[in-house]
Amino acid sequence: MAKPKVAFFKFSSCSGCQLSLLNLENYLLDILGAVEIPYFVMAQRTNLAGPYDIAFVEGSINTPRELEELKQIRKQSTKIIAFGTCANTGNVQSIKNFIGTQREMEERAGYTHFEDILSFPVKGIEHYIKVDGRILGCAPDLGEILEFLRCALLGINPAFLPHPVCNECKLKENVCLLLSKKQPCMGPVSAGGCGALCPSLNRQCEGCRGPAKDCNPAALARIFQYQLGLSREDIVRKFQKYAGETPEFRKGVEAVR
Amino acid sequence: MSDRRIFVDYLARAEGEGAIDVVIGPNGEIKETRWKMFEPMRFFEAIGIGRRCEEIPEIAQRICGICPHPHHFSTVQAIERAMGVQLSEQTVLLRKLFLLGDVLQSNALHLYFLAAPDFVGYDSVIAMAANPELLPLVKKALELKRLGNDMSVLLGGHEIMFRSSVIGGFTKVPETSDLRKTKERLKAAKEFALETVNLAATLAAQPPYPEYTRKCEHVSLHSEDEYALYDGRLISTEGLDIPNWDYRHWIIEEHVPGCNCKHATIKGRDSFLVGPLARVNNNFRQLSADAQAAAFSVNFKVPEFNPFMSIVARAIEIVHAIDGAIEKIDQIGQTRQEEPRYQVQAGEGYAVTEAPRGICCHGVRVDKNGIVEMWDATAPTARNVRNAEKDLAEFVPRWLHLSDSELTLMCEMTLRNYDPCQSCATHAFKVNLRRA
Repeated sequence: MAKPKVAFFKFSSCSGCQLSLLNLENYLLDILGAVEIPYFVMAQRTNLAGPYDIAFVEGSINTPRELEELKQIRKQSTKIIAFGTCANTGNVQSIKNFIGTQREMEERAGYTHFEDILSFPVKGIEHYIKVDGRILGCAPDLGEILEFLRCALLGINPAFLPHPVCNECKLKENVCLLLSKKQPCMGPVSAGGCGALCPSLNRQCEGCRGPAKDCNPAALARIFQYQLGLSREDIVRKFQKYAGETPEFRKGVEAVR
Repeated sequence: MSDRRIFVDYLARAEGEGAIDVVIGPNGEIKETRWKMFEPMRFFEAIGIGRRCEEIPEIAQRICGICPHPHHFSTVQAIERAMGVQLSEQTVLLRKLFLLGDVLQSNALHLYFLAAPDFVGYDSVIAMAANPELLPLVKKALELKRLGNDMSVLLGGHEIMFRSSVIGGFTKVPETSDLRKTKERLKAAKEFALETVNLAATLAAQPPYPEYTRKCEHVSLHSEDEYALYDGRLISTEGLDIPNWDYRHWIIEEHVPGCNCKHATIKGRDSFLVGPLARVNNNFRQLSADAQAAAFSVNFKVPEFNPFMSIVARAIEIVHAIDGAIEKIDQIGQTRQEEPRYQVQAGEGYAVTEAPRGICCHGVRVDKNGIVEMWDATAPTARNVRNAEKDLAEFVPRWLHLSDSELTLMCEMTLRNYDPCQSCATHAFKVNLRRA
């Protein structure tokens, strides 16, 4: 059987997701033995055109050029995986969608030749194309990447559970930051899979993996407001950080409007 | 006759998206050497305004996946300076240990994964791994890189994005026993680090690389007491010597059309180089004894102005990172849990730390409620862009006899010497080569 052709693409992002693949040091050689990598600009000079069996797409869509390239990738790939938070929900650069006008942004960032800058509101890739799978996280959990690759090679669906961070936090027997320590933790509405990494380190969840399935952000926003005494602005900042463009987190913002 | 143009539309084995455009006239004159980053802007400095100051170190590390830690520590320090936060000795030691781990991981990544394939004539480390003779080397390189990553996991919870480091300290500090285990692994890695210096020196000594010396200003942090990564004065080979928080008054930035990254020069002077070569040149005496000895053994003399020697500087730094990390672990000794403490107050602060690819500068102004009013971020690659273009302008005329594909490779290597990190710099690489 021919090795599957796996390609890695990057749009507006930090390259951290691609680096995560290289961070699988102990498994990297095995992975390279099982797949063919025709396109991975960060790791190799010769990069080939499609078709590809699986395309991992990192990054959010921010310019007309990126949108055009994304559409080309869709045409050339059998399966497309939204790789990481940027590709799924836009990540922190999507904050710009909620503040000021484009021109103001450019002036604030100190750019002077405005004609040079092409940029539109930041979206995840699924806003524009059909996506066949998701790996969440900023940056993705290495165990999840490995599990995803293993399942892809076996041709089965990976058993990523849709539960929130809270489930994993309970399994680790952490003291609840929200209820016991009265900290504004986003765990109840945020997708798990990270192993409740931040709460396990005594730090509240910031929701970097985007919303969990069937979560209730409006209720959490009201808890922040009435039980923890957070200001409206603080609550909006919480929901408009990693995944402000998702319908779930919009509800969190609307609840305190 | 038309122009000869070397155009690399998307520079490989580098972080981010950028192009190289070189245009050579009919008589061999260089018409243009440009490094055009087309990585889209993400407007970090703008989105930071109106956020809480606690969020800035968290957002800052998302600027770059390859050097998130220096971005994090620069912003943390800038905010701490703005608000007058006092730190415990343990916090400072842990942060310094972190940056040493970062140098270890990132230098190993650049040396073996991004740069070495050029020097040994392979397309990528993937192709190198397919050669049974090189496979053991690749395996060892992977182990070394893993060690740096494991240090990040131990200290910050994750390889890339920090979790436990916040303003005022750490939400959770590592166990003493885990630090001791890391120390043993560091000791075991030393031998391969020394081999790496020899290997890097052998690669860089191949003709024609030793010919390409270009004197320019080298800028880095400097401290008398230790190899400065976390703090220190900003000094250069041309006599710059300023407190690091004063960087804005001495390093001038301008937006250049066609490149999404602003170009930098030293006030009243010219472009400059930041990164491992600058650090080793400016801080040779602060390197660990074994790192200095390793440098002598391969005849590395400071100041070294050949940019192709930067891989040797990186290897020397790996040796130092191991020694330095062992020393820091000894100094930390028994760890104790401390609650990060600070009080929000209005203020403005600036800070510089050394990313593996050079100085990483951040400034933040917060109001009395802890809301950010201004954020100034400049990544190391943005410092290097103009200098890299000047390298091309100087070296390309000497490469005119080469075929287009060879010339393209040399142009790419010239930029890869800087271990560019283009996502940061724009807050990207393509090579365009045109000749008659």
